[in-house]
Amino acid sequence: MRPTKFAILALTLGLSSALAYLAWQHVPAPLPAQWSQQELAVLRSLSLQSLPPLPPAPGNAVADDPDAAELGHRLFFDTRLSANGSVSCAKCHQPEHHFTDQLPVSVGIATVDRNSMSLVGAAYSPWLFWDGRKDSLWAQALEPLENPLEHGIDRSEIATLIKSDTDYRQRYESIFSPGLNQQSDDQIFANIGKALSAYQRHLLPGTTRFDDYVANLDDSGELAPNDLMNTDELAGLRLFINKANCVDCHNGALFTNNSFHNTAVLSAPGILPALGRAEGLRRAQADPFNCLGDFSDANPDACQELRFAKGGDDMIGAQRAPSLRDLSKTAPYMHAGQIADLAAVIEHYNNADLAMVGHNEAKPLRLRAVEKRQLESFLRTLNGPMATDSRWLKPPTTLAPDASTILQATDTQRAVK
Amino acid sequence: MKLIDCLLRAGMVLGFVMPVTTTGAATAPLSTTSQPTGLHVQMQSELEPLAINQMHSWIIRVQDLQGDPVADAQISVDGGMPLHNHGLATSPQVTGYLGDGRYRLEGVRFHMNGEWELRLQIDHAGSPYRASFTMTL
Repeated sequence: MRPTKFAILALTLGLSSALAYLAWQHVPAPLPAQWSQQELAVLRSLSLQSLPPLPPAPGNAVADDPDAAELGHRLFFDTRLSANGSVSCAKCHQPEHHFTDQLPVSVGIATVDRNSMSLVGAAYSPWLFWDGRKDSLWAQALEPLENPLEHGIDRSEIATLIKSDTDYRQRYESIFSPGLNQQSDDQIFANIGKALSAYQRHLLPGTTRFDDYVANLDDSGELAPNDLMNTDELAGLRLFINKANCVDCHNGALFTNNSFHNTAVLSAPGILPALGRAEGLRRAQADPFNCLGDFSDANPDACQELRFAKGGDDMIGAQRAPSLRDLSKTAPYMHAGQIADLAAVIEHYNNADLAMVGHNEAKPLRLRAVEKRQLESFLRTLNGPMATDSRWLKPPTTLAPDASTILQATDTQRAVK
Repeated sequence: MKLIDCLLRAGMVLGFVMPVTTTGAATAPLSTTSQPTGLHVQMQSELEPLAINQMHSWIIRVQDLQGDPVADAQISVDGGMPLHNHGLATSPQVTGYLGDGRYRLEGVRFHMNGEWELRLQIDHAGSPYRASFTMTL
């Protein structure tokens, strides 16, 4: 009898403990009745309504020139800017995928080692690329053109194209200066980057359910589910700005501080860990197309980001925090697409393991299973269409009457695709 | 005096420096006395209210204990978020002397909300002094 009683007792205790654990993991905590005033301020800072006007681009005198944007639009979709005639900027920055390509690592002429970063809202970032190796949108646009794995073309071939295509030549000379034939390949190359940047400044995120929710909040801060956000999403939002610490780096209306953080993301299989910003800043400082370089239109006083940038050992393994807007279209995630989906990303931050190089800034979150699901639910409220005129989201359809037959042929090929 | 100086220097070496704290908008300058005692140091942000993700400058004012401006200080700045175990997002530098003991510190950008610390090392008349300020964004 005694062994049987003991077994029953042990079984009861075991089942009770298992049930208690499951309940703790999966039963949601009730929402409070109100957001605190501090929380309200954070929510408003995250709303698209708080997004300031586009920052100036001191290195690019034509950044807001409509004609430059038109030229940049044409260049962006032009596959002639590649060694094999099949790669345009839009190959890896696809409008329908929030200007990413849905691949772990991008494929231009060949496969590169980095995930394609979205261009939506990129004009707000003082640094470009995952490791911040470029300090402006126009300088960023140049590197993929000459990368043998991406466009595989060089500045002299680009200059030849601009000179030989009547439409490009006319537009270029109207925007920049006449006398294209007297300009160096370097100068033409830089100006092409500036036109591409002028176009990309039009690529901006649009209002989402989250933004509408915040816009409808009054100062009482009532925290109740409604048509815009349900209970799980609201609970996830509370976690985002409190316990889960996401808002530390994913702050402001673009859900990014555009700064560099080591969060112990593993390198891609077979690839050495990236040095990240530590290497990126060295490259930016040596870049002839940086804010202080000969091709920049900036007064050196306007180059504060470059002059006062932080590098060194603290930045080893640090990558740029991306925007969290429209995550539904930007998977897989991280600098080499190492993490396939949002649930796995949340698990990564929940564990906060040791970094392969440098030190992990993040600390374990100890989120319960239900909290991880709630956090993911909230992130999906950041999905939404872009706030960009639809004509910028497709290849230009109108060509100058005397555009070269080569350009027409290229456009026909594109239309067939 | 020498004993006091030694104790203060020991405190400085151990990082035992009493910080001055502000919360939210830095409408008034932050003030402190250096470690070791010898300088009055003020800091005021040129960005008001203080906000994250904006590059901005501060004015540092250095006076001796008699209130006279200190014109020949060499100032370097470090800092970070003590609770996050990381440093500043940028490398701020003093870029000019403005007269009357005032110096311009350029290149400050805070990239997270929370408590930040700015630590000044001030070399004056052959002696090192430290002043520390904390602020919450």
